[in-house]
Amino acid sequence: MLPSTVEDYLEAILEITEKSGRPATLEEIAAALKTGKETASSTIVALVEEGYLERMGGDAVRLTEKGAALASKTARKHTVLLCFLTEMLGVDTDSASREACTLEHGISDDTIERLSTYMGGDLPLTGRTRRRRGRETVTLLDCNEGDTARVALMRGQGGGHRRLLDLGIFPGEIVEVRRKLPNNSVVVRVKGCDIAISPEIAGSIFVESCP
Amino acid sequence: MRIALIGNPSVGKSLIFNQLTGLGVEVSNYPGTTVELQRGNTCFQREIIEIVDLPGVYSLEGNSEEEDLVRRFLEQEDVDAVVVVASATRLERNLYLLLQVAEYGLPMVVVLNMVDEAAKQGLDIDPGPLHDLLGVEVILTAASKGLNIDRIIPAALAASRPAKVEIPYDHHIEAAIRSLGKMFGVDRKESLRALQGFGENPELLEAARTIADEIESRHRMTVAQIIAANRHNFARRLAELTVREQHPPPGADPDSILTRFIPGMPILIAVLVGMLLSVFVVGSFLEEMIVEFFEVYAVQPFLALGLHPLLEELGVSVLIALQAGLGIALPYVFLFYVIISILEDSGYMTRAAFLADNVMHRLGMHGGAVIPLTLAFGCNVPAIMSIRLLRSRRERIIASFLVTMVPCSARTVIIAGIVAGFVGLAAAFSVYAIVFILIILTGLILSRVMPGERFGMIMEMVPLRRPEPRLVMKKAWSRLSEFLFIAMPLLLLGSVVLGLLEFFGIMTVFEGIVEPYTMGLLGLPGYSATALIFGILRKEMAFETLAILAGTADLGAVLSSLQLYVFAVVTVLFVPCLATVTVLLREVGSRITLAVTVYTVTLGLLIGGFIHHLFS
Repeated sequence: MLPSTVEDYLEAILEITEKSGRPATLEEIAAALKTGKETASSTIVALVEEGYLERMGGDAVRLTEKGAALASKTARKHTVLLCFLTEMLGVDTDSASREACTLEHGISDDTIERLSTYMGGDLPLTGRTRRRRGRETVTLLDCNEGDTARVALMRGQGGGHRRLLDLGIFPGEIVEVRRKLPNNSVVVRVKGCDIAISPEIAGSIFVESCP
Repeated sequence: MRIALIGNPSVGKSLIFNQLTGLGVEVSNYPGTTVELQRGNTCFQREIIEIVDLPGVYSLEGNSEEEDLVRRFLEQEDVDAVVVVASATRLERNLYLLLQVAEYGLPMVVVLNMVDEAAKQGLDIDPGPLHDLLGVEVILTAASKGLNIDRIIPAALAASRPAKVEIPYDHHIEAAIRSLGKMFGVDRKESLRALQGFGENPELLEAARTIADEIESRHRMTVAQIIAANRHNFARRLAELTVREQHPPPGADPDSILTRFIPGMPILIAVLVGMLLSVFVVGSFLEEMIVEFFEVYAVQPFLALGLHPLLEELGVSVLIALQAGLGIALPYVFLFYVIISILEDSGYMTRAAFLADNVMHRLGMHGGAVIPLTLAFGCNVPAIMSIRLLRSRRERIIASFLVTMVPCSARTVIIAGIVAGFVGLAAAFSVYAIVFILIILTGLILSRVMPGERFGMIMEMVPLRRPEPRLVMKKAWSRLSEFLFIAMPLLLLGSVVLGLLEFFGIMTVFEGIVEPYTMGLLGLPGYSATALIFGILRKEMAFETLAILAGTADLGAVLSSLQLYVFAVVTVLFVPCLATVTVLLREVGSRITLAVTVYTVTLGLLIGGFIHHLFS
């Protein structure tokens, strides 16, 4: 089961139970998610097994503690995203969007998806950051003394080392290789300053090309 | 009234602080040497103003200890004005930090220092555009010449408003700032920090993470990278408005010699060896003079007085302690600190770290570790304190082992005074060889067995400049006086206690007990054990104590060459001195300190015993 499916179900159930104040029935859940009873039923079985839901007699279910936590987390995430996306559309002066940022629940993945696609994002929201394509294989280590190169990408924890960013080495910046020792330690000049970098870090800085 | 100085490392900030306060503060060119805050007071128009010198940092959003300290200081302390010191020679990179400080919204003054050097490089600095854009006072200074330094305090006192500038961020980031602002009521600065994962509020961080993920899925960059790029690009625009390059800078670049493998490496080795040799030669020459002077003008006239034996014993103990202390402090400690200060202030230290990176890597540390290891030749205490600049605990632990094994100036006294003096120069160097081999072996083994992640080096090569003789002397003097005030009382006390123990015959009893062991293991007389124990107090006391206990300064007459050699080796490797143990405890904790101590004692006794049995 996709994590997004789990999140959708839990969020829907959270909304139903909060609105009605009693456990959600299979019928309500299927209706809320616009899906067939069959599909909904089998998903609920799986969710009960994983400990997100507990049966309350008949086909009614309610959220366990674990389920409720995930459901409200998802709801919060959706609120945040909706708020962010409306801000990006530049309609922040609109009173409606200001309200949107304080909405409690009730935004489906669907809405977010539509907004996101509208703005040109073509990626699944639930997936984490996009994986790198294995195109750039040239790193600072492949450059020679005197070469000038544009930084394309930096790997490492959280997108490379923080100190590199603070010293002015970030994707898009042009660096000049001033010195390269036989052991591959390098000195690069960026913003008029010389920065010494050890081989394993230099190897995590991908550059567009080296003449 | 409180004013804080903030800026990149080696922009002359400490020098400005020194001139503003007139207090003795260390000025250093090596990034990260001024880790602790320096505070000083000055009086202006009958008002006392406290000035705080914050450690040099590159950013307010990094995860180093210094950056954390500066950030916390700006957030928590009650600061009336911030003086941002930037180097006019590398303005663009310095403006990056300035813009971050501006976001804190504190009343601000900008100091563009080193305009004299900038002029030499053909850079023309116009403070006008920066003043207009930021809306704060911009002062051009040359701290090394004292130019315009007097304008800083009045400007800081007059500063009432923060910089009005706002960095234009990527529209995704701006949208994120607005969203977080609406949902949590946080300001621009807090939103930016939350997006990069800093902050205390877990809900804010969770929301920021959600947005950051969304932004990162649209860019090929992380949020931290985007924010950094926006700031750098804005800094570039500001720098372009401020700096005009009149003519290309002169071509000579000393780095083309210093950082190239050949001849850089031979130069590095020559510098290190030259440092040791000059201390051996000049130091021991000066020491002899001082000791001789004391002998003729103080000790002998005192003995000629013919006082009561107990008084005489006490008096001689005090005189000998003074003689030993001054004989060591002035020639060795002072000389070492002069050399180390020159290396630091000239910027050569960072070149050394770059060249040594590979070697240090084999020992499980990055090139920066050459700094503590080199400092350790002077004194283990500042060296242990400087292992903070190594980022992982793994590296710090390895460094703490290796640093305590490095023969410091006090141990050089033993090697120079005992081995070079009575056995020969070649033998003295062989002691070094033994110690170095042990250090390398220890490093190789530790780098294999120590758990933890390895980090690499990212280090700015600070510009090379001629060290100011006045500053070098001031720094060396402040370190020397530290030594005198901490070491001398200990030396005096130790010497008096020793004299009394000797006088009442307690020492003889102790020596009788340990004699069979020291004789059996090391072939040394019992009193050498006493000397070793006093060596824990301070290393150089081992030598002095030995001389006192042997009853003569001419050790060659009472001990054989082998005995002297073994004694020197054991003392050099034996437990780090009391002061080193104290700082070790603070830097790496009691468990590692105990491990280091046990390791060095065992190693000293083992190697000493090995040499004794090999050659006797």
